[in-house]
Amino acid sequence: MIEVKDITKKFGRKKVLNGVSFTANKGEITCLIGINGVGKTTVLNAIMNLTPINSGEILIDGNKINKDSYEKITFIPDAITMLPSMKISDAMTFMADFYNAWNQTRADELLSFFKLDANERISSLSKGNTAKVNMLLGLALDVDYLLMDEPFSGIDIFSREQIAEVFTSHLVEDRGVIITTHEINDIEHLIDKAVLLNDGVVLREFNAEEVRETEGKSIIDVMREVYHA
Amino acid sequence: MVRNESLRKLGVVTMNIKFNNRDPVYVQVIQHFKEQIATGLFEPGQEIPSRRELANQLKINPNTAQRAYKEMEEQGLIFTERNLPSRITRDEAVIKTVREELILEAVNTFIASVQSINVPLDEALDLVKDNFDKAKDGQEGDA
Amino acid sequence: MMSYLKLTNFELSRFFKMYLVLIGITLVMQTLSVVWTANNYLGEINEQLSSGSTVEEAINGWGLFSFDFITRGFWFSAPILLCIASLLIYVFFIWYRDWLGKNTFAYRLFMLPTARLNVFLAKATAIFLMVLGLISIQLVFLTIENELMKMIVPNTFREDLTINEIINGFDYLRVLYPVSFIQFFINYGIGFMAVIVVFTGILFERSFRWKGIILGVLFSGIALIVFFLPILLHETILNHFFYPTELFILMLISGLIVIAGSIWMSNYLLNKKIRV
Repeated sequence: MIEVKDITKKFGRKKVLNGVSFTANKGEITCLIGINGVGKTTVLNAIMNLTPINSGEILIDGNKINKDSYEKITFIPDAITMLPSMKISDAMTFMADFYNAWNQTRADELLSFFKLDANERISSLSKGNTAKVNMLLGLALDVDYLLMDEPFSGIDIFSREQIAEVFTSHLVEDRGVIITTHEINDIEHLIDKAVLLNDGVVLREFNAEEVRETEGKSIIDVMREVYHA
Repeated sequence: MVRNESLRKLGVVTMNIKFNNRDPVYVQVIQHFKEQIATGLFEPGQEIPSRRELANQLKINPNTAQRAYKEMEEQGLIFTERNLPSRITRDEAVIKTVREELILEAVNTFIASVQSINVPLDEALDLVKDNFDKAKDGQEGDA
Repeated sequence: MMSYLKLTNFELSRFFKMYLVLIGITLVMQTLSVVWTANNYLGEINEQLSSGSTVEEAINGWGLFSFDFITRGFWFSAPILLCIASLLIYVFFIWYRDWLGKNTFAYRLFMLPTARLNVFLAKATAIFLMVLGLISIQLVFLTIENELMKMIVPNTFREDLTINEIINGFDYLRVLYPVSFIQFFINYGIGFMAVIVVFTGILFERSFRWKGIILGVLFSGIALIVFFLPILLHETILNHFFYPTELFILMLISGLIVIAGSIWMSNYLLNKKIRV
């Protein structure tokens, strides 16, 4: 379980996160939803210790993040994390070199599923294919937790469908996933839990099926209520 | 490569459900299964996709697919023997109940809408008889 | 340890193309400068000989040709200065390139399952190895260029210098190639320390951005003071109290303190303060 406990984050005088708390379970897809602002990405960066927080605590299976955690949790940012001059195969070799959790079989499987050519240079890839390579590099790690920043934004509809398909497959199953989005439409039925963020605070954290069952509301209904309140 | 297959595989029965966003997805999945069972499209004893295949086909959360299967198993709509794939029930009584349940549901909906516009039962039933056959002819004509 | 070596190798390979270009430029420019300077000299000599002077007169007029003629020329020094400037710039760029553009490699580096300090040490090692590599190659080039000069200029007009003499004949070559091992250790030790301190300054900037620049400059200032503290005390309040060897040992200690302090500070910044 990833526990985010009352974290605050200031950029200069501006409070980007103002006491954010939520949890994300293993085997569930948790979605951080925010219609604007930088808070969502900052939360993911904070979980990965890629940006310091001013107060609060983040625990991964009860522990603070350390160097060994990166074999258990990984982050797929919205831009690719490899050098543009690398070929896809170079990027995969780099990953294999440094991570014990790297799973080459799974990487090859993803390569063919996404119909990517390992000899292509990252700099020459289309936006959609760059996003897929980025996904591949994260998904091919045998980690317990996967964080993804806006995996569906800025790419074509077919790439989006392919990536959505990944979410319902064995590639994601049993892992804990946190994704961020500002657009819930595509993934309404994919997620377990929604965390609504606004102005640095969590407005509501709920299980999507539960809200449908007990309140008869869609995620967007809840968003409408919460954001316009 | 075997796993890759499962990513692409369409499953033993293919299905396509148009979900609404306000009802629990697992309830909608069960409803769909009931309709298919009642109309005989899912035959007794027929193999059904695994929960992952189902999630993959319907683009829904695997936990939701799991929940739908669990409920259906409890209701006796599907059954699983040892480690084999789950199957549609062979229990005639269950299938009969499902069918009756669906009919009752449709009738209740009908009654509710007819009552809301104050139509007497006889008039409504006459119209039902006339139009029911027409609609059926129409459907067959289409096919 | 493995990660550190892999990272060092990776950092070296990232600069390798540029490195080859620098070596190529040096070789081409210095070779051309040997040929050009030697031919110029011979031209002048020939002109004088053809106007009726004897060989002795010509030599008296123009002097014997030695490798110093070449090392003092612009085209010989230019590539060395270019290499130094490139590496100085790369001390900064080796960090900033990881934050550059949309492909933020810093994410990857800081998500590696290894101590982040290894990233720091690998970058420092890479810079250090590249410096050592360049000066070794320059030494080889000097030998080759000296032989080339001998092939062009005839014995009579030549005063042959050993590599040692060539190096000692020119100021900055003397800094790059100290004759004693101790001096070598001091020169490159100070260089290494400076790189580490600058790296720490960069990490301050990467952690706190604008405010970090001030902190970085402040940190470098303190490092400078700490390093020179023995000399400062020696020259001022202590009134030349130490023997030279004592002063040397004290400077060695203050240098090690600066290096250790910088590495500790960098480790702290990398783990607690850095932003991608």
